[in-house]
Amino acid sequence: MEKKPKRIGVYICHCGGNISDYVDVEKVRQAVDGGDAEIVVMAKTTMFACSDANQRDMVEDIKANNLDSVVVASCSPKLHQLTFRNVSVRADLNKYTYVHANIREQASWAHSDNKMGATEKAIHLVKAAIAKSKYAEALETNKIKAKKAVAVIGAGVAGIKAAISLAEKDTEVILIEKEPFVGGRVAQWGSLFSTNETGKEMIDRLSADMSKYKNITLLTNSEVIDNKGSVGNISLKVRTNSDGNEKITELVVGSVLMATGFDYYTPEDGEFGYGTSNKIITLPVFKNMIDNQKGKLIHNGSEVKNIAYIYCVGSRQTDGENTYCSRNCCTSTIHAAVTAKQKFGDITNYHFNRGLRTYGKQEILYADSLRQGDIYLQSYEDGLPTVVTEGKKTIVKINDILTNGREIEVEADLVVLVTGMVPRSDNSSIGSLFKLPKGRDKFYNEVHMKLRPVETVIDGITIAGACQGPKNIAESVNSALSASTKSYSILSKGELETDPLIAVIDPEKCTWCGACEAACPFDAILKVENGKKVIAEINNSVCKGCGMCTPVCEPDAIDLIACSSKEIMSMIDALV
Amino acid sequence: MENPIKNIAYDALVVGAGIAGGEVALNLANTGYKVLLVDKELSVGGKMIMLSKVFPTLDCAACITTPKVSEISRHPNITIFTGSEVSNIKKLSENEFTAKVTKHPRYVRVEDCTACQLCEKACPVNVRDQYQFGLIGRKAAFIPFSICSPKAAAIDIENCTLCGACEKVCPTNCIDFTQETEVMNLHVKTVVIATGFDMFDAKKMPRYGYGQYKNVITALQMERELAPTRPFNTILRPGDGKVPDKIAYVLCVGSRDASVGNPLCSQICCMYSIKQAQLLMGALPMADVTIYYINIRSFGKGFEEFYQQAKGMGVNFVKGKIGRISEKEGGNLILRYEDINEGKLQEAEHDMVILSTGVLPNTGIDKFFENQTLSLDPFNFVGQSDALASPARTSIDGVFVAGTATGPMDIPDSILSAGAASSEAISYLVSQQY
Repeated sequence: MEKKPKRIGVYICHCGGNISDYVDVEKVRQAVDGGDAEIVVMAKTTMFACSDANQRDMVEDIKANNLDSVVVASCSPKLHQLTFRNVSVRADLNKYTYVHANIREQASWAHSDNKMGATEKAIHLVKAAIAKSKYAEALETNKIKAKKAVAVIGAGVAGIKAAISLAEKDTEVILIEKEPFVGGRVAQWGSLFSTNETGKEMIDRLSADMSKYKNITLLTNSEVIDNKGSVGNISLKVRTNSDGNEKITELVVGSVLMATGFDYYTPEDGEFGYGTSNKIITLPVFKNMIDNQKGKLIHNGSEVKNIAYIYCVGSRQTDGENTYCSRNCCTSTIHAAVTAKQKFGDITNYHFNRGLRTYGKQEILYADSLRQGDIYLQSYEDGLPTVVTEGKKTIVKINDILTNGREIEVEADLVVLVTGMVPRSDNSSIGSLFKLPKGRDKFYNEVHMKLRPVETVIDGITIAGACQGPKNIAESVNSALSASTKSYSILSKGELETDPLIAVIDPEKCTWCGACEAACPFDAILKVENGKKVIAEINNSVCKGCGMCTPVCEPDAIDLIACSSKEIMSMIDALV
Repeated sequence: MENPIKNIAYDALVVGAGIAGGEVALNLANTGYKVLLVDKELSVGGKMIMLSKVFPTLDCAACITTPKVSEISRHPNITIFTGSEVSNIKKLSENEFTAKVTKHPRYVRVEDCTACQLCEKACPVNVRDQYQFGLIGRKAAFIPFSICSPKAAAIDIENCTLCGACEKVCPTNCIDFTQETEVMNLHVKTVVIATGFDMFDAKKMPRYGYGQYKNVITALQMERELAPTRPFNTILRPGDGKVPDKIAYVLCVGSRDASVGNPLCSQICCMYSIKQAQLLMGALPMADVTIYYINIRSFGKGFEEFYQQAKGMGVNFVKGKIGRISEKEGGNLILRYEDINEGKLQEAEHDMVILSTGVLPNTGIDKFFENQTLSLDPFNFVGQSDALASPARTSIDGVFVAGTATGPMDIPDSILSAGAASSEAISYLVSQQY
């Protein structure tokens, strides 16, 4: 039966200049308007495709022109594919008929040095999207039951706050913690900036709060060792080691909230003299020291009077992997210096820094430190301070910017290397269990810093706290509460709609060779009996539609919904 | 004749429809609660909708704000009152608040306005356009800005001469000078404050010449020049319309400065200046851009890399706080400073100067509350009763705070802070159900 030809509308976005500065959007429009045997019945350019005004125009255009589907050529689908699918729905179209072309990241931004080339590429990308749109089919979303339970991994301050937040909203929480104790790093801290509470006291308070909720199950000494399923229905295996006994718990949750936190950077041997003298310690060790001592500050049997702090150790590296700024160490260090001076009196703090970053209200601390007599020495960008040992003395030398490059030496009783936050060493194992992508700083990556700051590309897995990037307590809590709000809103109705964009097997063609099962990273392929034959079958709720199975199937029995061979071939024809 | 005061009821009141308030409203609405979102401006979107691009990703600000604004305006659970203010918030008991909502007349029936702009063309009155931060003029009958929401005209009654020209040309007859201030009694179960921030008024530092020297502008004004919905076709200096080629940024204007009453760091100015500098290098490839700074605070995710990227693009960074700006004949500016790297006093000539002004609290928020005290922090931002462990809580149970109302914050931090406020508000609403 001959289907009547589709009527497609195309919108090409200027993206406020992000696209139109490099891609001639009018040229793209002309190249596709009326194209493909007049399937494209209308093509427009627009300043902001995602704006309210344009969205309203799209709904009107669809109705007025009797369009079957629309193509929008704009930024990455990560930002607005959902937006435009919803526009289609509002115009009474099926949302899966919508096709997106990314001409920002893939054309304009990638080829900003070649406007002609960028425009040509954009034309091809849009033509390919139109070719796909020809065969895009109306699909129904899968409705699945969502278990109203969340597994929170990590019981530091972020994990505890997330757990309480979810429990308050009548959601079951399983809080899984690797260590025997809760509270993570904060539990080990004494004095905190801007409050009279110590870290230990804060965690005690939060733990007491948490224990009031019967719907929080706390598993300490526990690690997740297996993960199957997908959002709404995630099966986890948790191994608990207590008193030499190992216990495996199996649980089913609707979503997972990662709050695994951070590690401290460990300086290399010899880095600013680390390891060559016991006078050279790291910031966390120093904080512990000043929290636990009274009267005089003693280290290795002698009184500490001169403390040298060397900033940015392991951060903002020009010839190392950690190029990022660790955000909170300036504040943390100055707080420690002010605390030490207030507690032990006869101390002089020397801050060897690369520019202080006490942002926001934390600036007050910097002013307090200056008032108490702390000395600030700033290095040039290309000349870091050095630490030398002369006999029993430890000397820190610097060419100081503020005194016009004068070389200044300080004989220090203690050298504190200000080390920042790095991703945890076990991030690779737990991260790969959940297939969490990492950013270039190797912390877990969010989908989009502003539009979707706590979500990951894996549906149902949110990230909170320092595992996403360096944060202080308040920032970690804000992120944990945001993640819990997100998790809650996904699960609160007890039912989820998922995209039906998965693989499908033709039982006639399949001869069960096992290649697809071996290729599937999600264990979504089952071996089943179908009458007389043994064939492969897709587990619909686990399959993520990644497509790894499709190329390895010799009889070509597997196809991907919404990315079918027919659609891809059509796109290839348009591209060449 | 007195009209009886209308009573309206919602689950939540969100005061302020900027990015934080909008995010809170969406989160609550998506959970099923009915939200009243109030903003004193004619449009939602706060400051973010006025920006050009955002750091460090250089996404266009409108591309991120307008879809959110669109979602908020369409959401069946959200009612938006623009041009409106809240006062006399009284807590009667847990989960029970009343307030007075005052809707100022717009003199336009929004539902009938098509934003055709015929009234704008007909209006004879010209005043400074506050939505372009004074760079150009607007009429007294005007559409606030091209991506405003609601997209409808308004009459600036203070400057209107009541000539009636707009009424005559309006094709839908939606201009209505008989509109009056509407006062309503509001009943809600929870309140979220998201009233944002104010920018430091650079006129308070006369030694920088803002308001006196035409080619000294503020960063928000440059933001408008750089935005896709910009007032001019190119980047130009307001004095004579010349395209600048030696541009200077002065950081920490009104921040880290006890002499003007603000000892805090405003957190966003280093980054927004670096962002603008990058955009200027793109828009004016021949121009020289120099940033005069005390410290560059590029502390967030991707920020340090963004800073290095700017250096790589050729933006000059000079460590030295500007002492004084003076004007030459012809409109160029002379900046006097101590160059810390060189160790000597210098004077540099630039044809355009941008002052990176700081973030100040939006004052008077505590006055919204009648029978309870909304505590402020020592810097006059809304006080956080448990700043580390529950940053969204205020001194009043059931009243929460989101975004820059608590202190300087960038957009990602504001959004996360809004997420936290939403979480607290939802928990509060849920807890009172039992």
